[in-house]
Amino acid sequence: MSQGQVNVAKNYAPEPTEEAGVREFLAFVVASETYALPLSCIREIMRVPSVTPVPRAPREVLGIISVRGQVTTLIDLRQRLRVPAGPVSSRTRVLLVDQGDEIMGLLCDRVQQVHRLSEKEVEMASVLGADAASYVMGIGRPGQGERKAETAAEARAGHDGDDEILILLDPIALLKRQVSHV
Amino acid sequence: MVGGKDGERAKEEFLAESQELIEGLSRGLLELDTGIKQGQRSPDTVNDLFRGVHTLKGLSGMFGFERLGRMSHVLEDLLEDLRLGRVELTQQVLDVLFEGVDNFQRLLGDAAEQASVDVETFTTRVHGLARAKVKAHNILEEYELDASMLGVLTEYEEHRLRTNLEQGLTVYRLRVRLALDVIDTALDSLKERVKNLAEIITYLPSMDGGGGDEIEIEMLLASKKTEAEVRTALGRPDAKLTAVERRPKTGGAQTPPAAAGAPKQPPPAAPAPAATTADAPALAPAPAAPKAEAAAAPKKSAADGDVSLRSITSVVRVDIRKLDHLMNVVGELGTVRAAVARLVERLRAGAAPALSSEAHRIHRAFQRHLAEVQEGVLDIRMVPLSQLFDKVAVVVRQVAREQSKEVKLSIIGAETEVDKLIAEELADPMMHIVRNAIDHGIESPDVRTKNGKATTGSLMVVAHQKGNHVVIELSDDGRGIDSNVIREAAVRKGVLSEQAASDLTREELLNVIFMPGFSTAREITDISGRGVGMDVVKTNITRLGGAVDIDSEKGRGTKVTITLPITLAIISALLFEVRGRLFAIPLAVVQEALRMPSQAVRTVDGREVITLRGTTLPLCRLADLFELGPIAENATEHFVIVVSVGNKRLGMCVERLSGQQDIVIKGLGRSLAGTPGISGATDLGDQHLVLVLDAASIIEEVLLPRAGALAVGVGS
Repeated sequence: MSQGQVNVAKNYAPEPTEEAGVREFLAFVVASETYALPLSCIREIMRVPSVTPVPRAPREVLGIISVRGQVTTLIDLRQRLRVPAGPVSSRTRVLLVDQGDEIMGLLCDRVQQVHRLSEKEVEMASVLGADAASYVMGIGRPGQGERKAETAAEARAGHDGDDEILILLDPIALLKRQVSHV
Repeated sequence: MVGGKDGERAKEEFLAESQELIEGLSRGLLELDTGIKQGQRSPDTVNDLFRGVHTLKGLSGMFGFERLGRMSHVLEDLLEDLRLGRVELTQQVLDVLFEGVDNFQRLLGDAAEQASVDVETFTTRVHGLARAKVKAHNILEEYELDASMLGVLTEYEEHRLRTNLEQGLTVYRLRVRLALDVIDTALDSLKERVKNLAEIITYLPSMDGGGGDEIEIEMLLASKKTEAEVRTALGRPDAKLTAVERRPKTGGAQTPPAAAGAPKQPPPAAPAPAATTADAPALAPAPAAPKAEAAAAPKKSAADGDVSLRSITSVVRVDIRKLDHLMNVVGELGTVRAAVARLVERLRAGAAPALSSEAHRIHRAFQRHLAEVQEGVLDIRMVPLSQLFDKVAVVVRQVAREQSKEVKLSIIGAETEVDKLIAEELADPMMHIVRNAIDHGIESPDVRTKNGKATTGSLMVVAHQKGNHVVIELSDDGRGIDSNVIREAAVRKGVLSEQAASDLTREELLNVIFMPGFSTAREITDISGRGVGMDVVKTNITRLGGAVDIDSEKGRGTKVTITLPITLAIISALLFEVRGRLFAIPLAVVQEALRMPSQAVRTVDGREVITLRGTTLPLCRLADLFELGPIAENATEHFVIVVSVGNKRLGMCVERLSGQQDIVIKGLGRSLAGTPGISGATDLGDQHLVLVLDAASIIEEVLLPRAGALAVGVGS
């Protein structure tokens, strides 16, 4: 693995005994909100490589990038999540997400950390009402359940998780192919 | 986990080998089909089929494919019966065999064995086939054949002996002494000599003549040739050759050769008169010589069911993805080479001339070897089109039978090679065209007779290489397409405006059947005599970077021509810039690049054209097509790249030409696959991807007549 790419598995070694109902999420920031994707679907985190725009691609497609020789579609999460465009900074990262039949790159503003969320820390998307976007899987509230200071994630988090909200995304719905080409 | 992986690999191996076997079976069945039509029997082919199915049965058993195993078992039994003459080889039996192979194919197609193949029904069908009744009349009794001899024949050998006698061939007994130490080669050379003029029914060591370091071999041969001819061909004056005589009739004991369920054969021809019964000793006089002792003799009846599970070829099977990977690496090496070349140039300009010339030499060697590696990898990917044409032949037979039409398929150029990937992708479009040709093109025999054509329709598949392309022509002599009917239908359907339709040439009208709105319209299809889904054919072929054209004459037939690149993997490309962005286009479609004659650009019906050597060339401004934004202040579109696919040409206006380079085209991810005008991307070695344009689809998009739009005459 070349420099500039962070192996997620190294960042977080799972506890030897997995508690039932606990899932791991990678939190990242887009615009002003914190989102999270299941850690299991993240293949790699990398710096922004050289991007080739593709004419006639759907609007949220920034273009294609070469990931070790593989042509990979890069999605602009700001476009996808319908928030205003922003600048690329030194903290901007590409998440390589395996969505089942294709690995795609997602451009996010900043990668935060890995959270382990128990069932009690996850609210279903239905709390947002019927018209919530299909790609919102639920709301994560780390530390909301019985607080477990001993969990590695929180020990490392080192900040007050009380008012933190994670918008949990469903990778498959998020990356479902946009039917029409622009 | 390792075991699982190994199991997976073994299974893949199984699938690949089974696929090969099944393809072999298809070929064999087609041979039988031809044989039947020409009134020939091909026992060897039946034996080959039997062996193939037997191997398949063994393989399925080993890998636990239960339904596949049962299917093979049923087929094996049927083939065994065919081999032994218990079942007559008829078209009906052949249909069942074809169905069986088709079932295999489907079962294999999904490893979970979920395919809707009803093994039970198939089994019932097989068992329902008429078994020839046990012959009441035994022709063998009519001949001077020793009972002890007959006693050691296997059922198959006896069947062959009987069949040959029934067909009027002469059966000869050959006795020859062979030295023990060279018995294998001597016997092989003997068989080789005999093979072309006679069938070897059996051979075994004789007990009386042996002794010392020699062994006497007895053979039973069946031949149409006379004794003298066989003797000459043997080339062994020491061999004793005698014809087996017909027994003199002895009255009531013999039943007349009738009444049996077996098909009647002409009475055996008069045996050669030469030999007399007197000096022909009984064959194999020592009945004690049991067959089991054949270990001593080099007897090996190929069809005895002793089939090895070893691979049947020395060919190494490789997953195409591995080759793709290798191809990628070779492509990357190419870019490394380019970097080295630049370095050498810099060295030359620098201070160390000695070093530089050495570097230059090394680079040259590197370049040469790399080219060889590239060629080698490409070569591995190439497969003969026969792989595909064999499948076509099966479909032709099947559809013709379904439709009760007579079709003669002629294939030329099956040895032409294309990239494996192309051969695979070509399968569906080819099947579609062939099916159409028989469904809608070739008339039924009585209609053909009425129209003064031969009752048997002709379907020709001709393939040949033309530069970097392969051209496949499929032509039939059926009813053809009436372009006027297309014109009328296209207008009625709203696919073309009346104006546009009337301006189209006959050839352009014919190509309208490839337009989506047209060919899916069923009623029109029926009138035009051409099938549904030609637009799909076109899409598939275009995606491969190819082109498809159609020509047809009413009442005379239709010809579909497919032009394809030989390989998709490494291609030479022309690089150019539009709005500061770099693009690549396969050199194979580029006819020429020229400076833009700005003054000569005319506008005809809203489209820019230039005149190039007397013909009109429509132009396309790529920046506008791709909406790349306005041109920079100081830049102009200086160049026109003339691309041609099939018989259509287009001039693409670009700002700069940036040279030519060998590139590896990589497909876009699934999310972007099918983006019109773009066939993939390539990495030029700096981790930056360059888009590769799909000339065929751009030409298509720009030039295709659309509703209300007038197609500009395309010069060619």
